Amino acid sequence: MMEAPVVTITERKRGLGGQNRIRLLGLVFSLVFTIIGLQLVRLTVFKPEDGEAKRIAASIERIPRPDITDRNGTVLATDVSVASLFADPRKILDIEEAVELITSSLPDVDAKDLYKKLTQPGRAFVWIKRQVSPEERDVVYNLGIPGVGYVNERKRVYPQGRLAAHTVGYVDVDTKGIAGIEKYLDAEGAIYTASLADPGKPLSEPAQLAMDVRVQHVLADEISKAIIKFKAVAGGGIVMDIETGEIISLVSLPDFNPNAESKAITKDQQNRMLSGVYELGSVVKAVTFAMAFDFGVINMNSKYDARFPLVIGNARINDFHAQRRVLSVPEIFTNSSNIGTAKMALDVGLENHQEFLSRVGLMDRLLTEVPESAKPILPKKWGRLVSATAAFGHGFAVQPLQGLSVVAGILNEGKMVPPTFMRRSKEEADVLGKQIVKPAVAGYMRELFRLNATDGSAGKANVPGYRVGGKTGTAEKVVNRRYSKDHRLASFIGAFPMDKPRYAILVMLDEPKPLPETYGFATSGWNAVPTAGFIIERIAPMLGVTPVFTEKDREALAKRAKVKKG
Amino acid sequence: MLKIANFALVLATLGTASMLYKHEHATRGSERELAREKAEIVDTAEAIKLLKAEWSSLTRPERLQFLAQTQLGMVPMTPDQFVDENELLAKLDALTTSSTKTPANPIDDVLKKMQ
Repeated sequence: MMEAPVVTITERKRGLGGQNRIRLLGLVFSLVFTIIGLQLVRLTVFKPEDGEAKRIAASIERIPRPDITDRNGTVLATDVSVASLFADPRKILDIEEAVELITSSLPDVDAKDLYKKLTQPGRAFVWIKRQVSPEERDVVYNLGIPGVGYVNERKRVYPQGRLAAHTVGYVDVDTKGIAGIEKYLDAEGAIYTASLADPGKPLSEPAQLAMDVRVQHVLADEISKAIIKFKAVAGGGIVMDIETGEIISLVSLPDFNPNAESKAITKDQQNRMLSGVYELGSVVKAVTFAMAFDFGVINMNSKYDARFPLVIGNARINDFHAQRRVLSVPEIFTNSSNIGTAKMALDVGLENHQEFLSRVGLMDRLLTEVPESAKPILPKKWGRLVSATAAFGHGFAVQPLQGLSVVAGILNEGKMVPPTFMRRSKEEADVLGKQIVKPAVAGYMRELFRLNATDGSAGKANVPGYRVGGKTGTAEKVVNRRYSKDHRLASFIGAFPMDKPRYAILVMLDEPKPLPETYGFATSGWNAVPTAGFIIERIAPMLGVTPVFTEKDREALAKRAKVKKG
Repeated sequence: MLKIANFALVLATLGTASMLYKHEHATRGSERELAREKAEIVDTAEAIKLLKAEWSSLTRPERLQFLAQTQLGMVPMTPDQFVDENELLAKLDALTTSSTKTPANPIDDVLKKMQ
């Protein structure tokens, strides 16, 4: 009797305890199963950790540097992947044999030098040759030497070579932009660069320049010919779209090879069109004329007395081609009279002259995408003499591009569009444009420019049919702090077609020498102007300017055809 | 009853597990293929870039000018080569009467030379 309750108690206890334990077990099991189930679902149904994406991203490394192309899509700069061969000397079994094998497949690797590098104690990494061709890489890799391998490196190449070197610029070994548009892409243009990259794609859109390589080549070709012919020390040229401010071409010679290993750019190879400032001489008269028209000081029928030199204080202003008579406004322009132009500036007044120069931006540094740029050098104190000499370009020096953009602005119905090296549409340009002179002034200036090409000093640029107009300038260079009669800077600024100017052109030759066939002259009309003529004749068809012939043009063409035949 | 239910559940678990495994395996395979294709796209794009650079280098205006002048005897265009459409007929007549023989195709000459 005593046992029974004990049993029942223990049984009950055991039963109860067992049930609880089973419940607990059940709970634990279902919990574990739920976790396993959830984990299964998480691992399989949902996307696993983006390991693949990471692996692909690693192969791209960073935002790719965009290609640079011209306005027609011709590649000017691109990244290519090149292999570089390296060795781990500790893993090479027989160094002598390895050296022999490698140098037999890569003849330009010096055997002694390589042996020396490979036998250095404690070295774990030695470059055999950097940036080899795919063939060389395969040959060496197939030798199967343990410890020899290759890594892929990015290399920036410029397929057009020297042609656009000054505009495109170049990068350093780590593909960081050092000059030109390459620098712009890294610095101020970083947002633009980022906008080209598509995050979903490993390659980005190319950065498209306003440049046309065909026009660029013609400029480089003709200007280098002129430099040789006239024994000039340097030269340059720019072609600009007047309506959009796009720089179609910019050449500065001597240039440099952006593909060269070491790019020690000498001062001589700098971009003269942007980082050089020059006294452009008489081409500045065009600006003075536009100013005088804009302030209403002159009209086409005004006359100025150029019989006697203009005396201000103890300085005398004289004319190069002295006419010694009363000149009309068009005559002052075509004869490039210093006296007449100086008198115009004096009539405009000191205050107005300064205001006008700052209005057209000649007082400030012109900034474009290409970072190299020089500030204009202006007279510090303005007086009557300074104003009079500045009127014909003495005593103030500007970047050639800046001079051209002002003339382009005047001819574009007085609306100056800031120059750009990148593509720009007409709509964008219209927003950016700034009215610098009244539209009517553009009409007078067009007339004067055209007249100077048909009857004036720019005659040799008057290619039949293309309605060229322009202004010449021959400035004496400052040598040893004095103006030298034998060191000249010849320049030409013009535009075509003059009935509705679309393209502005500048040609500059530094220190051209007189030749027998130029009758001993070294003024712009004999060197820079004919060069501009040759350029316009070749680029006008490329730019879609169709010729319109007058009777005079036909005569000129017939004469040329005869000369060619004879 | 409970046994049958348990058995059915075990079977169901096994079934779904194997199905999941199969799907997962297939997905992994597709992902690998996708990665391969993507890598191939990168490689092809790289090759296109290289070819474009080569093309740009081969069509350098300087080189084309040299070849056109030395191989084809071409010269830069002059303004008188533009003819207004109204004057076209007169110009054509003048050309056909002055030279009845058609000029030889310069490219043919170059090809002959190369053979």
